[in-house]
Amino acid sequence: MRGMVAFTLRGAGHAVTEAENGLLALDVARGGAFDLVLADVNMPVMDGISMVRELRAMDAYRGVPILMLTTESHTEKKMEGKAAGATGWLVKPFDPEQLLATVKRVLG
Amino acid sequence: MPPAASVEPLQAALVISAAVAEPAADVTAAPVALVLPADCRIAAQVALKQALMEALETDAIVLDGRAVERADTAALQLLTLFQREVKARGSCLSWCGASDALNEAAGLLGLTQILELPAAALA
Amino acid sequence: MSAVDLSQFHKTFFDESREGLDAMEAALLALDAGSADTELVHTIFRAAHSIKGGAATFGFTDVAAFTHVAESLLEEVRSGRRPVDAELTELLLRSVDCLRVMLDRSSSGQPVVDAASEDLRAELVRLVSGATAAVATPVTSAAANVTGWEIVFTALPHLLQTGNDPLRLFRELQQLGRLEVVRAFIVDAAPERLAEVDPTACYLGWVLHLHGNVARADVDAVFDWLDGDCELVIHPLAEPPVATVAGVLAAAEGSPSPLPLPLQRRRATDTAAGSKPESAAVSVEGSSIRVGIDKIDALINMMGELVITQSMLSEIGETFQPSQLTRLREGLVQLERNTRELQESVMRIRMLPIGSIFNRFPRLVHDLERKLGKRVKLELHGEHTELDKTVLEKIGDPLVHLVRNAIDHGLESPERRRAAGKSETGTLRLDAYHEGSNIVVQISDDGAGLNREAIIAKALHSGLINASQELGDADVAELIFQPGFSTAAAATDLSGRGVGMDVVRRNVRDLGGSVGVRSVSGKGSTFTIALPLTLAIIDGLVTAVGDERYIVPLISIVESLRLRSDSVRRIAGGGEVFHFRDAYLPILRLHQAFACADAVTDIERGIVVVVEEDGRRVGLLVDDLLGQQQAVVKSLEAHYRRVQGVSGATILSDGSVALIVDVGGVVRLGRPCKAA
Repeated sequence: MRGMVAFTLRGAGHAVTEAENGLLALDVARGGAFDLVLADVNMPVMDGISMVRELRAMDAYRGVPILMLTTESHTEKKMEGKAAGATGWLVKPFDPEQLLATVKRVLG
Repeated sequence: MPPAASVEPLQAALVISAAVAEPAADVTAAPVALVLPADCRIAAQVALKQALMEALETDAIVLDGRAVERADTAALQLLTLFQREVKARGSCLSWCGASDALNEAAGLLGLTQILELPAAALA
Repeated sequence: MSAVDLSQFHKTFFDESREGLDAMEAALLALDAGSADTELVHTIFRAAHSIKGGAATFGFTDVAAFTHVAESLLEEVRSGRRPVDAELTELLLRSVDCLRVMLDRSSSGQPVVDAASEDLRAELVRLVSGATAAVATPVTSAAANVTGWEIVFTALPHLLQTGNDPLRLFRELQQLGRLEVVRAFIVDAAPERLAEVDPTACYLGWVLHLHGNVARADVDAVFDWLDGDCELVIHPLAEPPVATVAGVLAAAEGSPSPLPLPLQRRRATDTAAGSKPESAAVSVEGSSIRVGIDKIDALINMMGELVITQSMLSEIGETFQPSQLTRLREGLVQLERNTRELQESVMRIRMLPIGSIFNRFPRLVHDLERKLGKRVKLELHGEHTELDKTVLEKIGDPLVHLVRNAIDHGLESPERRRAAGKSETGTLRLDAYHEGSNIVVQISDDGAGLNREAIIAKALHSGLINASQELGDADVAELIFQPGFSTAAAATDLSGRGVGMDVVRRNVRDLGGSVGVRSVSGKGSTFTIALPLTLAIIDGLVTAVGDERYIVPLISIVESLRLRSDSVRRIAGGGEVFHFRDAYLPILRLHQAFACADAVTDIERGIVVVVEEDGRRVGLLVDDLLGQQQAVVKSLEAHYRRVQGVSGATILSDGSVALIVDVGGVVRLGRPCKAA
């Protein structure tokens, strides 16, 4: 999943940094300035929702768009993600066109 | 705006008070201009607010928006609230220029007039 | 434009709004049945929107204000931001009821708003997410052309911390059409002083106009991540409304305070939304009828033919010669045909589909289901069957009673149905169809059927029968229509209203109809109402009494028979009775009652027609039966005066006048005698 997302984004000319779980992602985020964060809801060590909460607590990520990858049925996860500060959703199963359209929408 | 995403370095988050710190390179009488940072987005607003608060204490306030490359609603809002207070205090706010990015954002948000922004070309 | 007197359109507005409410109600009930049909939601929304637009245009500001809130709520449903649940439908149904009352009051010039409507409005406002009412948005007239959208977008403080920057949203909107920022504003909640401002919180709001032919769904999609992060009101953008209307709109939009009339707030429990309006309307609008254009066209065609016939006849008349007799006769035949067709067409104008009554029942059934904890599937058949307008207006209440009765007493609870091996959901079926010159309306249920034991026990208790009587199923069924018999064994708040089946029967009889019931224990009951096609035409039996002709309505006739003189008994006081089906019936000699000369006085030579009214029977003695005929009833009162025992007159085919016997009146002349 992560590989496909990264591959698609790189193919469209974006610079992408990957992280294996939420905790590692926070380190990566501290180390650089990103215009967009994509996070799966379900991740090992630190799940996506906790990660969003941590990110939003960082000054540099107050207003950075964070998209969550969820399945359509997970409405309660959506709500949780939203409460944590997620910007929007990408609905699984993975669809390259939808991904690029949504990323374009968020980055303007 | 470049679609290229990630590892772009944070462009000059805190250039904020350069002008305040080094008083008037040229003319002594000229009011000090507060230079808005290139990345004038939400993350820079806490610092910008601090600078604006200090600027409020001066009589003639000059903002320099020429360096702004990226601005968001948080920035334009802060400037709007600042302008409101400036007016309330009977002071006067003037611009020594605003970048295209700043003008575009202000225009899109319908705040150009409230902020009395100069056209970018004049900068 | 402001000089145009809008009041001439008021009636149309009320008619159309009521139709809109009916449509809303029907769609809401369909929604409630579990279908998440977006088309239904659109139907409801459109209806509410039109009513609001019309109300605002015509200056019914209270109605407009109320509908506006309901519309906002519907808007959330339409854009998928609010799910449809039972509570929501219930609230919207109550709003429909409330709007009906408000419309009635508006049309009669009464104060429109009361405590109940205000409470309901407050409830709606609470539900609509965010305080949209606080945002001043011009209401757009429904009639105007939609050329885009007005978006009133107010950020909640945490908006920016979700990464949803309004700048991005506005850029997205720019992709859809021409975006005009009409106004940006600082919300009242924003701190006065910069020192107190949280630079990461959002204190702004915008009024945007998005011009162009943009789909609503596309606008919604831009904001689809912002649920709970902002207040959003989206209206179609209309051509600028007329100045006067704009003034009204502004008033409608504001709080209910600027009322033209002093607002009388009444705290009365019985004025809950949905209850009937205080009946004494200040002014009653003239009753009107909506006629299909095809019927009007048919009339116009016939008028054309009549004019042709008339000119042909007058041409013959001017230069008449005996040789033209055949042509004259032809012309007269044609005139007769034209007249008859014209008469039929005019009569048809009064005919309305029974669907307008049937449409009430989904709501009634829905309410009763909830109240009684029963599950009912309502089937409507023959909604297009047409009935005379007067009949239609008067048959509503009896039908409502029968439907209530069927659900209350007929259909069993889901548990009992399951125990009886039936599906938990009972079926209630309404049929309407033509049968001869009658309209038949049937109400059938698949419930338990009439409870024979309970009915007999009840009838014994009320003294309608005595214990020794042998009763067939038909006799038992007949008992429930007797005055004094009420199904009070389990008087619920529905049927215990003092309205019994006897009232149903009387109402139907007043319309010249009849009502009966067939019931199979455990399988259900069927009530059948037969009504004449129109009130003005009856099927009658033409009888001869001396030189006179009397018409007895066919519907009242039980049997006609010739009596032997030894079967007639004289009783004290000079009356005559005869034995008929286990009862003695009085004989009423029509020639005596109406003082006819040269009539048959010998009972053996005459014929006795047994007629029944309200369960009472008498035998009418006439000379002879001449045949059956449809008679157009002419009022005697209108042309002469009221005559006891006569309900009207008609003109027979030979041109002579016959009187129509008022069976009810005649029966009262005879000695009371209860039928079994």
